[in-house]
Amino acid sequence: MRLRALGLVALTCLAALSTTASAGVAGAAPPSPARPSGLVVALSLGDPAMQAGVVRGGEVVLARGFEVGLAQALARRLGGRVDRFVEMRPAARLLAGAPAGWHLALAAIEPSRAARSAADLSVPYLTTDAAVVLRRGLTGPRRLAELRALVVCAVRGTPASRVVAASIRPTRSAVLVRGEDQLRTLLRTGACDAAVVPAVEAGRFVRGHARELGPVAGRVASGDGLVVAVARGTGVDVATVDRALGRLRADGTLGRLARSWLGLDPARLRVLR
Amino acid sequence: MRRVRLAIPAAVGLLALVLAASAAAGADGRRGQVWFLRGDGPVAVGRTAPGVPGLVRALLLGPTRAERAKGLRSTIPPGTALRDVTIARRVVTVDLAARFAAGRNEASLTARVGQLVRTLRAVPGVVGVRVRIEGGIPVGLFPGYDLRRTVRAPLPARAAPTLRELQQLLVDLGFMAPSGVTGRPGDETSVAVLAFEKWSGLPRDGVLDAEVETALEHATRPEPVRRAAGKRVELLLDRQVALAIENDRVERVFHISSGASGRTPTGSFRVYRKERLSWSVPFSTWMPWASYFVGGIAFHAYGYVPAYPASHGCVRMMARDAPLMYAFATTGTPVDVIGGRV
Repeated sequence: MRLRALGLVALTCLAALSTTASAGVAGAAPPSPARPSGLVVALSLGDPAMQAGVVRGGEVVLARGFEVGLAQALARRLGGRVDRFVEMRPAARLLAGAPAGWHLALAAIEPSRAARSAADLSVPYLTTDAAVVLRRGLTGPRRLAELRALVVCAVRGTPASRVVAASIRPTRSAVLVRGEDQLRTLLRTGACDAAVVPAVEAGRFVRGHARELGPVAGRVASGDGLVVAVARGTGVDVATVDRALGRLRADGTLGRLARSWLGLDPARLRVLR
Repeated sequence: MRRVRLAIPAAVGLLALVLAASAAAGADGRRGQVWFLRGDGPVAVGRTAPGVPGLVRALLLGPTRAERAKGLRSTIPPGTALRDVTIARRVVTVDLAARFAAGRNEASLTARVGQLVRTLRAVPGVVGVRVRIEGGIPVGLFPGYDLRRTVRAPLPARAAPTLRELQQLLVDLGFMAPSGVTGRPGDETSVAVLAFEKWSGLPRDGVLDAEVETALEHATRPEPVRRAAGKRVELLLDRQVALAIENDRVERVFHISSGASGRTPTGSFRVYRKERLSWSVPFSTWMPWASYFVGGIAFHAYGYVPAYPASHGCVRMMARDAPLMYAFATTGTPVDVIGGRV
């Protein structure tokens, strides 16, 4: 009897010890199989509109941004909440193939082959297309062919400049500039008819300059979009995440988050073909 | 060699003393400076504060009522609490409450780190600042600053544009030909500024002053009053400018002087005759680069083109601009003369 009591005490101590140990490496050890009530979400902080926060011992507190809001909405849709945000840096480590310390990762992940091999990937939640912002006084173009006749500008060496060369192929020489400020100035002065910028940045590009710039004419399809990485073996099912994202799109949550953090919802932009 | 070896610890010791002195100035309260903003520019204000923590607290308190009345402001949210200040190796680590990161205005968030860094870098001996929020490292919250690292200097305030940059703006907006971008002041720039002032409703003096500079930095390319395809000219009598327009895009804005006392008729006309050198019979004068569009009224070069209507009805243009208008407004080009405020 005494021995049994001692054994129980020892077991209790062992259990307590293991609990403490796992709490000590929060965010590093793989989370227990799905308990939707407490998701661990991995972030890769940096872009103020997408995800930002305060890193304290590997955890992210005061997290905010589009992807943070999306993670919280997604967790609610999955029937729970975000237990904690963890930061993985560099972002490549998110999908390095090591055991995940998270259930979901939202970190501007594009569906590359490496990403697919490391985690299950959801349907896109945000487009990575390029948007076209017009100078003031210009209302068209509705098709790519109309865009070709304009003076098109982009920041040199960016995906947007590659879209200009590969998809728009303007008949007049495109103007490639050093930075976003210069791009905005050329558009404001009319030296450029259209500026090509990443769709996720278009809202921020025009914010505060509504009287100086024209409308966002639409987007040029150029990529798949950003996806949620779902860690394997944690019990969270990617099909469930897909369904939840679909509902968030349908009920307007995704659009509201995009408008709130990005200035506009890129998915609502007309596709220029 | 030995002296050098001795000198290094001595210098480090001296620096530590300076820092310790400024940190421990609590006893007597030393004179320091905190940085606020006036407009968008940083401004230093003197404060007597007990050491570095006191200085940070003074910064967090913001400008006094009298200072606010003088236009000083702070981007740091009122009520932001200071959690801790430590100094190690001449680097000050400031731990602030979450309120410091409140709000989404990127310019404000960036500016408040700038205020903090300026204030602390002004303390003798301090070489860097680390910002912590609620004991953690803020990442992405303050655009422009990588707060994972020690901040050595605030982001530079935006430099005033150079004359060359302003001239380029005048070109980009359509008020000057590209040849005018020289980086030197001159007649061509002055005339372009005059045209810009007329278009923008500013006092017409052709001087590139602060008012014009500010207006240029927010100006957009002029837009035609009417919409129509092809090449055409709009003559705006109220603003005293002529717009050379192609497919609804204003290619150039010209400074002109039209007929005094309403002698230039309003209406829609077309260029019907062009003469490189035209002789005005009623006024016995040569009119180079003349493009007639109604009766004896033409665009032409003239030696004196004031900022107001001064001619007998013709449209006077600068000698540099008239050949450009002559080349643009070929025979048959529509000319809309528009009176009144547009």
